[in-house]
Amino acid sequence: MTIALQATGITKRFPGVLANDHVNFTLKQGEIHALLGENGAGKSTLMNILYGLYQPDEGEILLNGQRIQITSPHDAIAQGIGMVHQHFMLVPPLTVTENIMLGQESIQAGSQALGPLALLDRRSVAKRIRELSQRYGLAVDPDATVQDLTVGAQQRVEIVKALYREAQILILDEPTAVLTPQEADDLFVILRNLVAQGKSIIFITHKLREVFAVADQISVMRAGKMAGSVQPAQATRELLAEMMVGRAVILTIDKTDANPANVVLQVENLRVQDDRRHTVVNDISLSVRAGEILGIAGVQGNGQTELTEALTGLRKVVGGQVTILSQDTTHVMPRQISEAGVSHVPEDRHKHGLVLSFSLRDNFVLCTYYQPPFAKGIEIDFPVLEENARKLIKMFDVRTPGASTSAGSLSGGNQQKVIIARELSRPVKLLIASQPTRGLDVGSIEFIHRRIVEARDQGAAVLLISAELDEIMSLSDRIAVMYKGHILSTLDASTATREQLGLLMAGIGGAEPHAPAQRSGNNRRNGPDSPLEAMNV
Amino acid sequence: MSENRKTNPFAPFLSALGRALGMPALALLTAFIIGAIVILLTSGDLLAAPTAYWGLIRGALFKQRGLSESLVASIPYVLLSLGLSVGFKSGLFNIGVEGQFYIGALCAAWAGQITTGLPAIIHLPLALLAGAIGGAIWAGVPGYLKMRTGAHEVISTMMMNYVAFRLTEYVITDKLRDVNSTTIQTPSVSPAAELWTFAAIPQRLQDPLNALGVALVLALLTALVVRALADRPDWKAKLGARRGLAIGGSGLLAGLIAFVALPLLTNAWWPFTDAYDRLHTGLIMAVLAAVGVWWLMEKTTPGFELRTVGANPNAARYAGMNITRNVVLAMAISGGLAGLAGTIEVLGVSICRCLPLFFSSGYGFDSIAISLLARNDPFGILAASFLFGAMRNGADLMELSSGVSKYIISLIQALALLFVAAPAIVRWMYRMKAPAGEEKQAPLTRGWGG
Ligand SMILES: Nc1ncnc2c1ncn2[C@@H]1O[C@H](COP(=O)(O)OP(=O)(O)OP(=O)(O)O)[C@@H](O)[C@H]1O
Ligand SMILES: [Mg+2]
Repeated sequence: MTIALQATGITKRFPGVLANDHVNFTLKQGEIHALLGENGAGKSTLMNILYGLYQPDEGEILLNGQRIQITSPHDAIAQGIGMVHQHFMLVPPLTVTENIMLGQESIQAGSQALGPLALLDRRSVAKRIRELSQRYGLAVDPDATVQDLTVGAQQRVEIVKALYREAQILILDEPTAVLTPQEADDLFVILRNLVAQGKSIIFITHKLREVFAVADQISVMRAGKMAGSVQPAQATRELLAEMMVGRAVILTIDKTDANPANVVLQVENLRVQDDRRHTVVNDISLSVRAGEILGIAGVQGNGQTELTEALTGLRKVVGGQVTILSQDTTHVMPRQISEAGVSHVPEDRHKHGLVLSFSLRDNFVLCTYYQPPFAKGIEIDFPVLEENARKLIKMFDVRTPGASTSAGSLSGGNQQKVIIARELSRPVKLLIASQPTRGLDVGSIEFIHRRIVEARDQGAAVLLISAELDEIMSLSDRIAVMYKGHILSTLDASTATREQLGLLMAGIGGAEPHAPAQRSGNNRRNGPDSPLEAMNV
Repeated sequence: MSENRKTNPFAPFLSALGRALGMPALALLTAFIIGAIVILLTSGDLLAAPTAYWGLIRGALFKQRGLSESLVASIPYVLLSLGLSVGFKSGLFNIGVEGQFYIGALCAAWAGQITTGLPAIIHLPLALLAGAIGGAIWAGVPGYLKMRTGAHEVISTMMMNYVAFRLTEYVITDKLRDVNSTTIQTPSVSPAAELWTFAAIPQRLQDPLNALGVALVLALLTALVVRALADRPDWKAKLGARRGLAIGGSGLLAGLIAFVALPLLTNAWWPFTDAYDRLHTGLIMAVLAAVGVWWLMEKTTPGFELRTVGANPNAARYAGMNITRNVVLAMAISGGLAGLAGTIEVLGVSICRCLPLFFSSGYGFDSIAISLLARNDPFGILAASFLFGAMRNGADLMELSSGVSKYIISLIQALALLFVAAPAIVRWMYRMKAPAGEEKQAPLTRGWGG
């Protein structure tokens, strides 16, 4: 096998951090190379260097045996290196074709003479896209508008975009973090097709299952250094976890049985609409008691986001009632809900969870800045903020040069730890956690899971929303499955099986005894393929 | 060229200089250099640029009352730019400061002339407050409209500008016209509502009520300074429980001393003897306003909310902040400062101590440049405002002494702004490396996965 890309001695310093420390990395032609490592280990930095977003302080890059300089993403694309970022760089109102053309517009034959007014040649681009999607098994409709696509489909568009630019090497930074297990498996089939046709792929992930499912070679980074490289056949989950973290990691959490007490959160017949005024939470009722964890399983996009937003006051409730500790919170401001003792780990950490330009010190008090001891009157007590930040950074092992670092310069996983630390550091009566461990490394997941169970044991009610079935199964005491805005069934976690949940998540199987009857025609979204019809009741 | 790029021997030195002085200083220097080149090219005279710049400096600083006039010109710049900076930090572009400036001036002109019977200790604060409130309301309305209807503040404040211009014209020519004057203007304000010039201070202090007013202000300021110092660890330990006593006592003491001694002292000796010197106490207000804005934005919970709303409104909502209230508040503070600038021009600068029909300022739009140049830092605004005020004031002598058009000033200011807005240009010119932290600005690195 020939070597496609080789990086040697790559070093990159940021103020106060050695993000890459003489890293060597070799990508062979036609392989899927998984890159693992703790949060903040330097994976994204290394990839950003290969893609020309950062310039290394030291080291060199060889492409097909030739030394090259990659000074910009443009350069990288010209050399055949494509990258798919975690958050896609697509323009939502444009079509797939237009998005793919963007920056490389091709022009209709004969209209070049018009100069800048030349006509765009959408048709041949669309044809090319169809060819590519056929060849690699990437289901992409060139005429669809990007904002209507699911996350998985948008990701495929990103991949097609890179292929359209004739990428030979494809870098995927945590592509599966936002995908459902099923979508992830689909992606792996695509990746297999790609390498079969000679492409080479670097694939960053935190999920060991995926590494074994798809990788030909596994490299592990730790604290800026390359900790080692192994083949899947020689590796075990435990070995990889240990290589990443430097110690043995407990991959399953042991918790005692729940001691449910009084009802903390009571939701009755809740109806919520999304931004386009479709009813996406449809007549949901549930309750969570102090000292128990209710997990909401479900494929993303079945109303979980809107449900949590409604519960935390960020979205208007159309119908029904929410009661938190016998206080009616259906139509109150987020501040009142948070003061009732609700902590919220939001699903989108960049949109809601953090102010990226603020220091960690300030982000740690985003919800409590006005309360003692952080404020005296209207004056903020900054020494107390410093102290608080130092304490939380230590307690939650946030990898950062200091409390004054901006949240935006932290690695993705460490940003998540900042949010969790903030939300668990105040008195919690109800914890609403949405995808709390998305993008975290195994060590941090273990840590966060412990904290969540601990919060439960200290008497908090926990509502856990996760697309990660493993997470739901290992943490929850009861599991509700959400499908198309309904809760299909609530199961006891000790008896629920993976298969049972998987079927429910796909909308097949058992119904809540008091499941709502099919509503007459007023709800288009639940028309023909409504879960209830699909269930044949 | 590319050889040069790699081997420029000054690059390390320049980047150190850039770091030390900050990009704005380097941008300014570059703007002046390019300005000199333009002067050279247009005049063909090697000495033209040095003569012009020397004329500028003399005009701004050394001619008779040069420094005073530069300061007088910078005072409205400070207040307006502070106003803009509060908006910018809260995510709002209050392009309507010029209109708020006019409304402030109008309200102050009205409040200053309602009566001549009030003492200065009441009438002056009243007039100042009227101007500030006028500006605050004029800006608060677009803020509210933005939240209620989604009307973008850039459009609505700009429209409000025209309404403000025409409204002041109408009021000056019709409702509030001084019928005893041949020029179209409002009646002069009561002497009690005038803002004092520095030269007039000794005479003003002879009135015990005025002395009392000054003493109150000084007592308050002293108490605030002691209070700030008392929070330092070493003082904290020493003071212990006597903190309150120390603060109150020192304030009281300062007030008493000021009340008794200031009238006598200033009468005996006072540096501002030139009765035609227009430098006025608005200068002190401008500096205090800068400190106040800094304190508000950086040290208080309302400032924290405003900055959060500005940096990430979604996160602000998540954190339980009331976006509407904060947007209106930011606009009101912004407009209040702009209104105060107009007020000060009426009460302390205009010859008639009134609002004349031809009250053109152009301060508002320059101030946008100043707050950008200063990157919204209150103390940077003080410096940049002085620079703009000095250039505005020195330009005449520059033109007179060298024949170089005074509009070259605008060119230099525009270039400076361009370079601040696009630091990459300056870096490229001096072959400097981008500071590591700034690389994150790369537009593609926003994904949360890394
Ligand atoms: N632009 C930047 N400025 C300052 N520090 C940075 C910057 N980018 C990354 N870092 C730091 O470099 C280190 C490596 O970050 P990187 O994003 O490469 O981690 P990662 O391995 O991708 O982690 P994760 O799994 O959490 O995404 C971290 O400590 C991070 O704080
Ligand atoms: Mg990363």
